[in-house]
Amino acid sequence: MSRIKNRIRRLRFDHNEMTQEELASKAGCTRQTIIALEQNKYVPSVELAFGVAKAFGVPLEEVFKYEDSQKG
Amino acid sequence: MAPLQKRALYSFVIGLILTIALIVVFVAQGDITAFERDPNLRLIMYAVLIGVPLIYLILVNLTLRKPAQLDERDRLIIERSSRAQWLAVIFTLVVWTIALTEIYRGQGQVPIAFLKLIFTSTLIISTLAHSLGILVGYWEMNRNE
Repeated sequence: MSRIKNRIRRLRFDHNEMTQEELASKAGCTRQTIIALEQNKYVPSVELAFGVAKAFGVPLEEVFKYEDSQKG
Repeated sequence: MAPLQKRALYSFVIGLILTIALIVVFVAQGDITAFERDPNLRLIMYAVLIGVPLIYLILVNLTLRKPAQLDERDRLIIERSSRAQWLAVIFTLVVWTIALTEIYRGQGQVPIAFLKLIFTSTLIISTLAHSLGILVGYWEMNRNE
């Protein structure tokens, strides 16, 4: 399981319920990749991660976070 | 279903139908030399040899030309499936080499008809392996949680 988690679904909701299709178009990927990202089944490249953050107009760390396994 | 996944599924089904059709024709004709004796069968073989790579190239190009339909995740899957394709091709050639060497060792020569059969089977297995690699790639990626 990847340690990189994201808040894409939450951010889409906060951004006027942006559709997966819209986000995919803005971030430069397919809707299927957005679905995989939301389900934490795919870890994006740095370029795509920045693309997603830019689509929401927020810094990268507001979308993605690294979960340290040492914690708790 | 992703566009690439759909195309891989179509390619796989077409490849499978083609394989079954060739096996049926081969079994119906009796033996390998039928490919040489029957001019119609030879024509069908040539059509397959030229048609399969052409259709394959057109399908792959149609997918790759549309950037909106293909992203980094798809490219990663294509890359991985290419490794599976390469292994399948090598394995096919190894099987042909060992089989023909063992069967025709005593005669010291292999019927020329096998050339077409080796090429056709390698071509079909290569296409099937690539398509299957893509389908497995998506399945694995969706399973990873």
